[in-house]
Order: sequence, then C-alpha cells, then structure tokens
Amino acid sequence: MAALMYLECDYPLIDSDFRNFCASHNIISVEDFLLHDLYVLVISTEQHHNSERLKEGITQVLTIINKQHQPWVDGQELLDDALQNKRFLPTGCRSIDTFLHGGLREGYLTELVGTSSSGKTQICLQAASAVAKSWGKIVFLDSGNSFSPKRVAQIVTQTSDLSAYEVDKALQEVMNNVVCFSVFDIFTLFEVLHQLKNNLRSQKDQHIRMLIIDSISSLIAPILGGGAHGHALMVSVGFLLKRLAHEHDISILVTNHMVAGEKGTSKPALGESWRSIPHIRLLLSKDQISNISSISVVRHPQMATGDRVEFAFQQHQVL
Amino acid sequence: MEVSSLPISASLRAKLISGGYTSISSLFSVSHSDVARDLKISENQALEILRVASQRRGSERSNGTSSIVNGAQSAWEMLNEEKLLGRITTSCSELDDILGGGISCKEVTEIGGVPGIGKTQLGIQLAVNVQIPMDYGGLQGKAVYIDTEGSFMVERALQIAEACLEDMREYHGFLKRDLQACQVNMQPKDFLENIFYFRVCSYTEQIAVVNYLEKFISEHKDVKVVIIDSITFHFRQDFDDMALRTRLLGGMALKLMKLAKKFTLAVILLNQVTTKYTEGQYQLTLALGDSWSHACTNRVILYWNGIERYAYIDKSPSVRSAAAAYSVTGRGIRSSVSNCKRVKMM
Repeated sequence: MAALMYLECDYPLIDSDFRNFCASHNIISVEDFLLHDLYVLVISTEQHHNSERLKEGITQVLTIINKQHQPWVDGQELLDDALQNKRFLPTGCRSIDTFLHGGLREGYLTELVGTSSSGKTQICLQAASAVAKSWGKIVFLDSGNSFSPKRVAQIVTQTSDLSAYEVDKALQEVMNNVVCFSVFDIFTLFEVLHQLKNNLRSQKDQHIRMLIIDSISSLIAPILGGGAHGHALMVSVGFLLKRLAHEHDISILVTNHMVAGEKGTSKPALGESWRSIPHIRLLLSKDQISNISSISVVRHPQMATGDRVEFAFQQHQVL
Repeated sequence: MEVSSLPISASLRAKLISGGYTSISSLFSVSHSDVARDLKISENQALEILRVASQRRGSERSNGTSSIVNGAQSAWEMLNEEKLLGRITTSCSELDDILGGGISCKEVTEIGGVPGIGKTQLGIQLAVNVQIPMDYGGLQGKAVYIDTEGSFMVERALQIAEACLEDMREYHGFLKRDLQACQVNMQPKDFLENIFYFRVCSYTEQIAVVNYLEKFISEHKDVKVVIIDSITFHFRQDFDDMALRTRLLGGMALKLMKLAKKFTLAVILLNQVTTKYTEGQYQLTLALGDSWSHACTNRVILYWNGIERYAYIDKSPSVRSAAAAYSVTGRGIRSSVSNCKRVKMM
C-alpha cells in the first residue's frame, strides 16, 4: 500500500490538511494508519477547527482499506474449482503418478528435495516432457545450466510409439511447448515471475500448465544469512509462487538441495522458515549400491508422512 | 509489487518502506528530488533507486510479442543450437565417449580426485585442446587458466602443446588433403600465447577474479574455456564461519554458470577430495561439502583402480553415469587402451 498522498487524486477528502494532521501523528503511509490507535486519532481531531472533515477523512481511509480484501467464496465453489481447474499433471513415471494420486496437482507448489545426483533434475525433465506432450506449455527456469534439451528429446522419443517421420514432427511440437529461461540471481527470478503474472493476466490465450524451477535453493541460499533481508526475499518468492499457482491453475515444481545436518545426517536446505511454504515436500533418494530410486512424503495435505514408493528412471539411449 | 524485490541496499530499502514507498508503482510518478527530500537521502541515491525501478517496469511491460517470458527460448530452439555447439576433446576417446563427445560448452563441469591422479594435467590438456583449429574438429578458442595452488607448469603446457601439434600433423598426413590449403601452420608458442593465466593467492582474490571474468571475456570473446585449478584450495583454510563459506561458494557458482551460458564457454572446476563420515564409515568424496555438490552441472570423479586411472561421471543431466580408463603420458592425457597394448607388446 502506498503513502497517503497518492490517494488524493481519487479521494479528495484526503487533502493536504488531512495529511498534515496525520503527519503530526507520524502517519505517512496506509500501513502507519493501520498501526495507529484510531480512537486516539479520532479524539485528537477535536483539537482542530475542522474536526468533522478530519473524521470524515479517517472514515474514508478505513473504507478504502476495507475495499482491499479479496472477495469471499464458499466451500462448494472451492470444491468446484478444485475439481474442475486443479487437475493432476503427469510426472512421466507411472508409479510416481499412482503414488501421488495422479501426479503433480495444478494450484500446488511441490518441492522435490534430494542429495546431489539423486535425480531431481531427471524428474523435472521427465515431468516437463510428459506435460509438454499431452497437456500444454511449460516454463522451465534453470539456475544450474542443467536443462538438457537432448535429454528431453530422448524422453519424448522413447515414450511415443510413432514412426520415425511422425516422431520428428511431433518432437518439434512437444519441444516448442517447453520454454526455458536461465536465472542466476533472485532479483531476476522476481522479474521473471512478475512478467509471467502480468502476461498471464493480460493474454488470456496464453496458458501454461507447469512451472519448474531447478533449483530454487541455489538462488536463495547465497542471500540467506547476514540480516533478515534474505529471509524476507525467500518468503516473498514463496508467496508469489503460491499465488501464481492458485490464480492461474499452474502446477509449480521446485527443487531444493540437501545440506549436512547433525551427526552426519543430511537435511533439506533453506531452513525452517522455507519448510512451511511448499504445499508438498517430497524426498528423493537413491540407493548407491542397488541403484533403486525412491520418493517419500515429507509433507503433503492428503498423504501420510513417510509413505514411500520405489521407481526406476527411464533408461538413457543414444539418439 | 513490493520494493523489497528491487536490487538496492538494505538501508535504502528500509528508508523507502518507512517513507511510504512500499510498492514499485509508487515510484513511477515521482521525481528524484521528491524521493531525496522524503527519505533524506542524496539525489544520486534517489536517481539510482528510480533507475532500478523504471528498469523493472520496462521489463514487465508486455512486449507485444507472444513470448511468455522475455528472452526465453523453447526447448526445440535449444536442441538445434546444441547440435551446432562444439565440444572440447580430452584427448582420451573413451573419456570423450562417456561425456557424450567431450566437455560441453555452456556447462560447468567439476572434476575432482586424489592428489596425483592428473587433475592439473587434464586442466592443461583442455587449455591446449580448446585451441585445436576448426579444420581439425576443434573450437579454435582461447583459454583462461586460474591457478590457485601454483601447480600450473608452463614447460608441461609446452610439452602437451607440441604433442598436440604432432597429432594434428599426423592426422593431416593421414587425411592426405590439399596440402596448401590446410597446412598446420601453428607453432607451440602460439598455444601458450592463447592461454590467459591468472595467479590467485587468497579467496578474496579468487572472488575478485571471478567477478572480473565477465568483463575480461566480453573483451576476449574467443575464450572458450575457463579452468579454475583448484576451486577448493583457498576455501579450505582461513574459514571459521562455514555458513559464510557456503554462501560465498554458492554465489561464485552462480556467476560461473552465468558466464558459461552468456558466452557459450565451458567452465572446468578442479576440486580436491575429503573424507566424509556416513553410516559408520569414512568415505572419500569431493571437498567443499554437500551444498557445493549441487553447484555444478556435471561432476566427474577421477580415481585409481589398481594401477589404472579411471574417470567416473557422478552427475550429469544429459548422459548416464559411466566410467572410463585414461592415462597420463608424457604427451598428455591419452587413452589407456593404447597404453596397455604397448605394455603387452613389450
């Protein structure tokens, strides 16, 4: 919210007299107004000659504030929205889809945690291929130069049962559905997310189904520590993502890395305040000896913590 | 949109917020002198704030095209672009094979191993190989070599360059192509001239060099490989605050990623090993900890298997994990197979 002076053009009651009166109480912005004891403010208007007008001004500001809230919806509408618009998108691996009751849900922020080389990027690439193939557009934000178009092409070719000529055409179509952008700092991430929000609002024909950020932790980790500012940015990224997911029915998938915890164990990076942000947190692990990968639930609105499924990655093939 | 997402200093941000300028749109219609007066800051600072804000607004405006994010590429475009990208050979065909044809540009590759396994040798080899002319399937580029340990041997680089030239001449003779058009007219000293060497003596110097690289490379566009030997050395000492170390390293990794992408070059980071205590036993892993292990696109681990040297791809988004033998010879990095044959013949 802005300083009071910007409200004057729409609301003439908030003139310089009123603002001077507010300024004498250290009220510059709408936030200051909210934090101030309104009864004290109303009583102190009595000392001024134009107390009626000042009181009207106060009421006016309160009305403006009240208009700020979002419209309410009832449970039935929420349910309808959930059933119609919040669909499950495939991860490209059938056993994971079954395990997650259908896959990665639109409107949800899903976080994938895992140690280095546990397959986080592979899942992202598989999901991107699967969604691009039969659902629609994907935006892939890459912070580690790890988006491999070659690998995506491999996955798409392997999972389609078309003739060589058809594959080539289909491949181009699918690959054009995946839009990739490299992001190397948190401010660029903000810029891109806001662009995305504005473009989705203004261009209704643009539809993206999934947003993948691989990895979000490498963007956030360098700014954490050294003051609360890093935390504030992290939390606002989180809320921005959740808002995007909800308003535009996008399924958002982010990856997070693991850091050393106590006694040689490892824990997800970004700490406690990030932990509460994603709707779903999945832990990815790979047994180094047997080479079997598994996903277990750390946080999920519908599933029990600790539920686990084993799966195998699609094999690499030389194209 | 909140002003907190603008890249400005923390104190200015606090002043903006307490002055009522909480959203970026509130900065659009004001003059810099108003901002300077309201926040009690200098006019220059106010100008800077307004510049950053208007830049952000410019990027947010819909640009009229249909792209959903400005400057983004589709995977199809990237695939076609990638096909045109050259790779840097390691001079060991088995190693090239498992890497998918050599060290790829636009990516950060970390190579680590125990002392004496040949990390620096591989580093020097790549600094030479990147210069192989395009006629011979090379990139015809230049190399930046950042030496933190003082292990770069210029005589050795000369030796490897001479061997590389010999191989090129041999290959040339083998092809028996038009001799005039495609004569090998490079000299070993040309190879050395095209290696830009930085000696780094502390971690602050290392960060400074990495920050400077963007400017340096934009002036020397033909640089195709940046080798840091080693990324680890200065970060393993003088550090009490491990969280600070992790942050510095993470920031540096992002800068190198950006460099690799922006200038289409390969970044090679050499790393040392350390022991890690997991599940009741000590294991050898690459140094700098768990968060660092996420920082690179590719990770190659060099190790001894009996008397043979092996390279193992520990992580890569595009190729599968695999191992290949290589050897370090007087002529540089070479296939291990030919070496074995020679032993058998003797």
